[in-house]
Amino acid sequence: MTSDFAPLRQQPSARYERTVIDPTGVPLFRKIAEYRRYRTLFVFLALRDITLRYRQTLLGVLWAVLQPLLPMAIFTVVFARVLRPATGGIPYWLFVLAGLAPWTFFASAINMSATTFINNQGLLNKVYFPRAILPGAAVAACLLDWLVTGLFVLALVAWQGYRPTAQWLLLPVIVLLTTVLAMSVGLALASLMAMYRDVKHVLPFLVQLWMFATPIVYPRSLLPERLRWAVGLNPMAGVVEALRSCLFRTPLDWKLLSLSLLAILLIGLAATLLFHRLEADLAEQV
Amino acid sequence: MKTISVGGLSKEFTLGQRKHQYRMLHQFLVPRGTKPAERKGTRFLALDNVSFDAEPGDVIGIVGRNGAGKSTLLKILARILRPTRGRVELRGRVGSLLEIGAGFHGELTGRENIFLNAAILGMEHREILRKLDEIVDFAEVGQHLDEPVKTYSSGMYLRLAFSVAAHIEPEILLVDEVLAVGDAQFQKKCIHRIEQVGKRGQTVLFVSHNIQSVLRLCSRALLIDQGILKLDGPVQEVAAAYLSTAGRNSGERKYPEGPHAPGDAVVRLRNVRVRSRNGETLPTVELSQELGLEMEFQVEESSLALFPVLAVHNEWGTEILWATDADTEWHGRRRPPGRYRVIAWIPPNFLGAGALTVTAAMHSLVPRTEHFREVDAVGFQAVDTLGTGTARGDFTGYIGALTRPKLEWTVEYDCRHLEQAIRPAPSRGQTV
Repeated sequence: MTSDFAPLRQQPSARYERTVIDPTGVPLFRKIAEYRRYRTLFVFLALRDITLRYRQTLLGVLWAVLQPLLPMAIFTVVFARVLRPATGGIPYWLFVLAGLAPWTFFASAINMSATTFINNQGLLNKVYFPRAILPGAAVAACLLDWLVTGLFVLALVAWQGYRPTAQWLLLPVIVLLTTVLAMSVGLALASLMAMYRDVKHVLPFLVQLWMFATPIVYPRSLLPERLRWAVGLNPMAGVVEALRSCLFRTPLDWKLLSLSLLAILLIGLAATLLFHRLEADLAEQV
Repeated sequence: MKTISVGGLSKEFTLGQRKHQYRMLHQFLVPRGTKPAERKGTRFLALDNVSFDAEPGDVIGIVGRNGAGKSTLLKILARILRPTRGRVELRGRVGSLLEIGAGFHGELTGRENIFLNAAILGMEHREILRKLDEIVDFAEVGQHLDEPVKTYSSGMYLRLAFSVAAHIEPEILLVDEVLAVGDAQFQKKCIHRIEQVGKRGQTVLFVSHNIQSVLRLCSRALLIDQGILKLDGPVQEVAAAYLSTAGRNSGERKYPEGPHAPGDAVVRLRNVRVRSRNGETLPTVELSQELGLEMEFQVEESSLALFPVLAVHNEWGTEILWATDADTEWHGRRRPPGRYRVIAWIPPNFLGAGALTVTAAMHSLVPRTEHFREVDAVGFQAVDTLGTGTARGDFTGYIGALTRPKLEWTVEYDCRHLEQAIRPAPSRGQTV
């Protein structure tokens, strides 16, 4: 090329960007750096999901509130009479709602993200971008609902006479933990589903089972004493229990929360490794 | 400085993907290096030891027959597929246009789709905002920008999609057959845009069936055949080699016996040729001459009703003619195993002039299967002559039409000096 053409327009950082493609794939640490560059895509994918979910609906984001309210009504009618659970003075409906709020977010987030690879086959086959953005953005898109539900629950809790305390400062941490957990589980499920479509059929049962394994409709005190600590291995249990202590001003069970934190870290690590092994062949596998 | 350097690149596919899905979990957990050997099933080498380099400003065409491995090469460079062997080094950002309008959603508005699609192509938010006006102008969608794209006409949809694609500015641009869609006007716009990209100093790899656009855009080309890089050189040389490969212009193409011929366990292609009524092969056909498109195939298994299809394309890749054996006794019936020869007769004065190619394919409907599709199996020249038997008559100008039938003409006239007007006519016929 002769020199009188317009000079290359590029960012200085891009000039030296070097990509090596070989059978071993990109090392994990370099991939992580790449996600930073694609944050725009992450945001727009999440915005797309939110837009599509509420466009042409009459009630719009009000659905976020209705979603946990409807099962709450059912559980209250059924279990409050039958079980007469000892909730420590907390109205049973509020007790259930405080559990259902994070659970609804978690369940819809993993349901949405699990199908992202198989539903975007065309995209995976035609364009490169760091693949974990797809399930990640699906989880992020559920965050708006989670926030709306959360504020609604806070309002109800305050209305019932539980005043805000310093423990409320822990609430953002709880939101963060559920998000990280949902992203990890979503990523693992999406990877597995890309290989084994069976996962798609198993998932609804799995989610149902997980919900009843989490102290949402029943208090943890219902379990035998020596098993109570083990509930922490289910990270959603730690989250739900921590949320309830914040809202209802009961002492926080730090042991339970740290166990759940550990479980979240392990699940996150396992999901990352599983996905990392699959990623390079994703277009062929899906 | 090299922007692309490819060394010893190979890609192996395992055929029979279905079995793959039921791979056991423990196999997934063994180290990656041991995996290919453990896999069972037929393996197929889509790319075999390909090496080449490219520098800034290079616009390189990649030509080859269908299934030669062109798209596989592009997908490896785009990091969609993982190579089996070899190494690629890229310097600079990579933009790939293997499909335009990736991620478009009908419910979203034009504007929303621009943002999403641009982000998918790797643009950052600030960059998109900076280019938004330019993209909107280029797409010419006007006041429809804030309406859902499901209300767009297909032309508007394509323009919008291409417009976003045209505004990515990577150092390396990979383009695959994007130009095969859209009308002539749109294709012109696309080609113009790619020309500009090359002049800006970006490296472009351009896969196309359309040898004309490769000739126009590229200075250098790669010829890939059955996964092997056959030729890397000036575009004219490569184009000539491509056009002359494997009987493209000889009017006949034979396929080897056995599993290497196009086809599957049900039926395999044996031979395609252009012939006359008395059986001779025709590399050149006069327009006023009858010709037959002949396909021979071997039915291995009488399981399905087969539909042999013959199609003719011109040098621009436009499909001029499509035919199946609709009125023979075999139409839609199971054929017992054996060798079959079908001939589609094209009447005289039907085709237009030019370098034409014949594509042979075999379909069955339940379940819908394409047993083979041999694109551009043979080529032939349709040539044009003057004279009374032709559709051209004595007209000597250029005719670009795809078909040139000799139609029945009716002339009605209302002339004041009728006798004077028709009197010279008989004498004209005598002078020619």
